[in-house]
Amino acid sequence: MKITIQDLTKKFPSRNKKGKEVVAVDNMNIEIPSGKLVGLLGPSGCGKSTSLFMLSGLEAPTSGKIFFDNQDVTTLAAERRGVGLVFQNYALYPHMTVEQNIMFPLTNMRLPKQEAKQRALEAAQLVQIEDLLARKPSELSGGQQQRVAIARALVKMPNVLLLDEPLSNLDARLRLQTREEIKRIQRETGITTVFVTHDQEEAMSICDIMVVMKLGVVQQIGDPQGIYDDPINMFVANFLGTPPINIFKGEIKCGKVYIGNEAIMDKNVPDQKIYVGIRPEGFIYNPNGVLTLNLDHVEVMGRDKTIVSVHAASEKPFIRSIIDSDVAIDKDATTLSFNVKPNKVFLFNAETEERIR
Amino acid sequence: MANPEKNFFAKFGEKCKDLWGKFIGLFKKSEAKAQAAAEGEACTEQCGMIGTELTKREKFSRFLKAEQGWLFVLPAIILLCIFTFYPIINAFIRAFQQNYNALTGNYNGWGFENFIRVLKGDTGTGGAKFVQCLVNTVIFTFISVPLSTLLALLISVALNSIKALQRAYQTILFLPYLTNSLAMGAVFATFFTIVGTKNHTDTIGIVNMIFFPNNPIDWMQGGTGYTWNLGAVKIPWTKYVVVIVYEIWSGLPFKILILFSSLQSVNKQYYDAAKIDGASKSTTLWKITTPLIMPMISYLIITGIMGGMKQYTAIVGLFGEQMGRDYDMGTMVGYIYSYVSNGQMGYAFAGSLLLFAIIMVITVINLRVSKKRVTF
Ligand SMILES: Nc1ncnc2c1ncn2[C@@H]1O[C@H](COP(=O)(O)OP(=O)(O)O)[C@@H](O)[C@H]1O
Ligand SMILES: [Mg+2]
Repeated sequence: MKITIQDLTKKFPSRNKKGKEVVAVDNMNIEIPSGKLVGLLGPSGCGKSTSLFMLSGLEAPTSGKIFFDNQDVTTLAAERRGVGLVFQNYALYPHMTVEQNIMFPLTNMRLPKQEAKQRALEAAQLVQIEDLLARKPSELSGGQQQRVAIARALVKMPNVLLLDEPLSNLDARLRLQTREEIKRIQRETGITTVFVTHDQEEAMSICDIMVVMKLGVVQQIGDPQGIYDDPINMFVANFLGTPPINIFKGEIKCGKVYIGNEAIMDKNVPDQKIYVGIRPEGFIYNPNGVLTLNLDHVEVMGRDKTIVSVHAASEKPFIRSIIDSDVAIDKDATTLSFNVKPNKVFLFNAETEERIR
Repeated sequence: MANPEKNFFAKFGEKCKDLWGKFIGLFKKSEAKAQAAAEGEACTEQCGMIGTELTKREKFSRFLKAEQGWLFVLPAIILLCIFTFYPIINAFIRAFQQNYNALTGNYNGWGFENFIRVLKGDTGTGGAKFVQCLVNTVIFTFISVPLSTLLALLISVALNSIKALQRAYQTILFLPYLTNSLAMGAVFATFFTIVGTKNHTDTIGIVNMIFFPNNPIDWMQGGTGYTWNLGAVKIPWTKYVVVIVYEIWSGLPFKILILFSSLQSVNKQYYDAAKIDGASKSTTLWKITTPLIMPMISYLIITGIMGGMKQYTAIVGLFGEQMGRDYDMGTMVGYIYSYVSNGQMGYAFAGSLLLFAIIMVITVINLRVSKKRVTF
């Protein structure tokens, strides 16, 4: 099922009369092709959940429209949209067993009991919890509860599957495992899925399409690698990647990009104050390099090593550059010089923080 | 396996002993000190006794600090002992004494005679009959408590779903709770009553006015036409209706208060989930909301039944001190009181122990049944 979101806006009225209303989602436009896994990514409070609830029908938009395929569902009640929703804290009914939880959507559809049981079992098998059907939610671990929630959302064979930070309650290891699982289930079922997360790594690793949001405004839409390689502004560049991008205050003078008084590359645009973003993997160690950093220490990771250094123009306390572990570094040196890979360097206007191309 | 209750009592006993010892010690030491002081008046100050030993005052304040938890509950414990524990124990003992005289304290021998005669109704009063009162009480309770809980649930759900004037409605619904039950009973009696003959339509109560304006029923009197006989037990059903309606109504405020606040504490996300799962309003109410607040519902039913089994004042308010005609509306507590007013304390003690046993059995069954439904 294709989802089209047109000029979608959600404003929450303020509590007191004088306060300002909250614009949780501001003029959102997205087109989601059928059968794709889409990640809504952004920091906490940027309107991801609100967007998801509007898609599900639990929250009515202030303005704008939502289409499933060609049907306008903007005012359609939640129960008639055919969506499955996995809540951030799962919202499993505590008084029902796992099986009753999974069967609940089916009994509401007045399916015969035998068939409902059969389909609940199939859904449970899909998420590999068929052994837990007789338990109550309180007798399950976080990861198991999450699977039950997914099974409950999937059992009615929804047109659209919506997941609100489904991994945020899991420990790091389980999170890795479960996100692969979500990817697998999505691929097996082919259901158009919207997945909300504040964790960029999570989004990058499983999404077909990623939507980066900030303060209710969509910043950039695209495939994860595309956005990583070509961020539209400093917020997006900063939000993606671990370790995060290094940011320097800089300047363009006479077609050259300066950090401090070192010209690191050419750029044929008018003179202006800028921020220079350099991805950690964008440094090439070279004793005669264009950029000199003051070495703090070296972290050896095995596969590669991270050089942690400081620089007067850096916006962050430390600069992290990742280089091959084969490259010999003098650990006692006070300064190290680097060349930069031009495709790993992004320039942003110092005021608008928009990308300078 | 250790018995936690036994443990508790053992600990409690030890603690009491310990406290008592300390308390006594405090006085003993201070007495000794006072004596010593009296004997060697002159030297006390030079000896530096005050420097090394604590003064009476300091000791007492230390004692207070260390044991203050117990001191805080002490007044309550004393009151409970005097007005609750002692009477209970006393009732247990006296119930087995034959012909106990409350004035002289005399009795002749021990035995079960009180119980036997109470159960048989063979007590020479000609008043309340045990079986009649038991049947009345059980029927009133087991019809009115479930109905009033159900009604309270529906009202609370309705109240929870409205936005405007929620507080005002909540207050209005709670007001009857503050009303005296005797007064309420008297008012209810006028609702159902008839004054004069059946054809004087201007003298009938509001219930007849609304439902039976042409052929009013004398609800409060009952009479042969309105009574079923079950062996020795009479069921004057018009009076039953009055009592049950009254009890449903008077039980509502507290139940609404409790259920409404527990509804408000239900996580809203369950309702969102139910919506997504396509549950209708009634499915949501019966399959989601009700089970989620089942602990509170079951609490209300259990305490409601306990309260219903002890019903008395409302019946007096409705039907007067004689509890209807020949105690045909009598309740268990009314039955016990009838012995008290006759000075037959032995029967009253036996009757209250029987009531205690009945309530206990019902409550145990209740807890057993509800245990399955209230734990998640
Ligand atoms: N029911 C509500 N009433 C008022 N403000 C709300 C409500 N729900 C969310 N908001 C506000 O809308 C913004 C977006 O919230 P949300 O969508 O939950 O963010 P996210 O899921 O991205 O963390 C936040 O500023 C939040 O405070
Ligand atoms: Mg959220």
